[in-house]
Amino acid sequence: MKRAIAGLSLVLTASCATGGVPAKEAPKITQSANAKVSGNIEIWSWDVAAKALQRLAPEFEKANPGVKVKVTDIGYDNAYDKITVGLKSGAGLPDIITLEDTAIPGYAENFPDGLVDLTPVAGKYKADFDPAKWQAASTAKGLYALPWDSAPVGLYYRRDYFEKAKVDPKSLTTWDDAVKAGEKIKQATGKRLFVSDLASVATFTTLLQQLGQGYFVDGKVAVNSPDAVRALTLLKTLKDKDLLQNEKGWDGRVTATKQGKAATQPTAAWWSGTLTAEMPELSGKFGVVPLPAFEAGGSRTSANGGSALSITAQTKNQQTAWAFLDWLLAGKERQVSMMRTEALFPAYLPALTDPLFDEPQPYFGGEKVNRLFADEVKEIPPVELTGDDKQAEELLKKAVSACLLNGEDPKAVLDGAAEQLAAATQREIAP
Amino acid sequence: MRRLVWVLAVLGALVSVVPFYWMIVAATHDGSELFASPPPFLPGGDLLNNIVKLEESVHFARVMATSVWTALVYTALSSLVSAMCGYGLAKYRFHGRGLLLGVVLATMMVPFQVLLVPLFQMMASIGWVDTYQAIIIPFLANSFGIFLMRQAFLDFPDELLESGRLDGAGDMRIFYRIVLPVVRPQLGALVIFTFMSQWNSFIWPLLMLNSEERYTVPVALNHLIGLSHVDYAGLMLGAFLATLPLMLVFLVFQRQFVAGLLGGAVKG
Repeated sequence: MKRAIAGLSLVLTASCATGGVPAKEAPKITQSANAKVSGNIEIWSWDVAAKALQRLAPEFEKANPGVKVKVTDIGYDNAYDKITVGLKSGAGLPDIITLEDTAIPGYAENFPDGLVDLTPVAGKYKADFDPAKWQAASTAKGLYALPWDSAPVGLYYRRDYFEKAKVDPKSLTTWDDAVKAGEKIKQATGKRLFVSDLASVATFTTLLQQLGQGYFVDGKVAVNSPDAVRALTLLKTLKDKDLLQNEKGWDGRVTATKQGKAATQPTAAWWSGTLTAEMPELSGKFGVVPLPAFEAGGSRTSANGGSALSITAQTKNQQTAWAFLDWLLAGKERQVSMMRTEALFPAYLPALTDPLFDEPQPYFGGEKVNRLFADEVKEIPPVELTGDDKQAEELLKKAVSACLLNGEDPKAVLDGAAEQLAAATQREIAP
Repeated sequence: MRRLVWVLAVLGALVSVVPFYWMIVAATHDGSELFASPPPFLPGGDLLNNIVKLEESVHFARVMATSVWTALVYTALSSLVSAMCGYGLAKYRFHGRGLLLGVVLATMMVPFQVLLVPLFQMMASIGWVDTYQAIIIPFLANSFGIFLMRQAFLDFPDELLESGRLDGAGDMRIFYRIVLPVVRPQLGALVIFTFMSQWNSFIWPLLMLNSEERYTVPVALNHLIGLSHVDYAGLMLGAFLATLPLMLVFLVFQRQFVAGLLGGAVKG
């Protein structure tokens, strides 16, 4: 499996090396006003997203006689192998594919004519969607996907630990407060502030987005910007005060949370699904507050995850493919339905006013956590994503672990990463 | 010394048995129990429950049946092709024989990843995407198998073939009646090897199959790894059940297999 993945990235790189051909344009979607919505369309998805599509497809078929929608669950773990080979060979892809936000820019850059530019039909919806996700789906050339689910980030916390340490979770308005609270909680309960894999960049990236920045700014390398240094310095402060619970990967985080090793977890709305599925016995122990800000009045949220739907250039039925996307994503009814049944948090802003979000959640001791997340969606700071983000991530992994595990200076390691990244991607370093 | 050997043997046995044992433990517990601390050490009582869930989530029975019949068909056809090619390369004299053997060996050195995209394009252009033949036909000529069989036939006495010819047997008859029975050990090894490779084959069926009703076991199990939830109980149960046919094949062919591996070991 690993071998195959390494091989595929090789294929991808090789495709970049042959970049002497004239720049290709994304084919713009064409829709004729009087053409009928009919025929077959096929969609690839995974996980609960696939379940949502499978559940709703018959409704669409009913509303549009003569249409057949086939939904295939291709599994998440190797979905991109399938998609990459399909784009590379120009065959075998269905009409619509699911992409995570972070994957869109890479595909848009490597296969500029592989996905359809939705601007002509979807442009009018811009104000209705999570701005961060809209930006993630767009490049200078066009809109490559329609945003689906959002992943607003909040601070999950353990009520019992906060009570024992006599700390009010609502008082954590800034990260400085959180550090102080963390020390107090550690003294009272022996638990660290939150779980983080110190050899990964996930937490750093979430904090950086909270500050409104990605790895690149205006196409220039910005991994050593003042904000980036600030984000890493916060993590180093937490590490130096022994407030980070270092656990390897996804399984490590789930296990540590189940064992109650940490008092909080800064993560996205979908974490609720993991909690209820993997640790039902902890019902009533968790609550959620907005993310502490870097300074009073600063942003109280970020994003971590989320997907979108793209129409491939291989489709023979753009008319119906778009009709389906429009019906599914750009309307309140289906978005609310998918929130209710599959817990897919809508990126479509009008859906977030639905009373569904005001229901108290028994697992969270009756707190209205979905209202909190819903209010955060439109506040998520948009950041620039590029096809070079994967490379940036690899270099930052080394920098972040050098800083957190070997105690090196945040500014110095990030400067080093920036230079390497600039050389590897032939971009300038942002001033 | 004897004690050391004994300790090493026990350690070795533990190292190979523990993962398998954990697979059984995990397959018989509810997924959420596996993250508890300490983790469960004894098999639990959720086996039936997990089987029902696995059947619900990936239609395991159907997936298993698909895997079994595609692997059987592939193994039968591919072993035959290997044996025939190996026989031809070992026993027939013709121009370019050495070159042909070189080409066969060279294909062993081409990493599969390099072939993925062109092969995918070929399949797409003849409309074979999402078909069973696409996961069987392209790999029938298996260079390792051909080489293995060629080596097996090199030692085969030409006199036997000649006497067969003198008795009036045609080439096909000689091949099926005289040649194949003699190389049974090597053929047994080949069968185990090809069955295993097809049974465990993952990336190609993943790329080729686009309909859930055609999935093979590895492709279907891959679905249990989700974005925010990994169904470890289902994965472990599926992996456990998937080893059963392999074990069966191994048990049936292992006598030939072991003999085959050692077949050339002590020959001058």
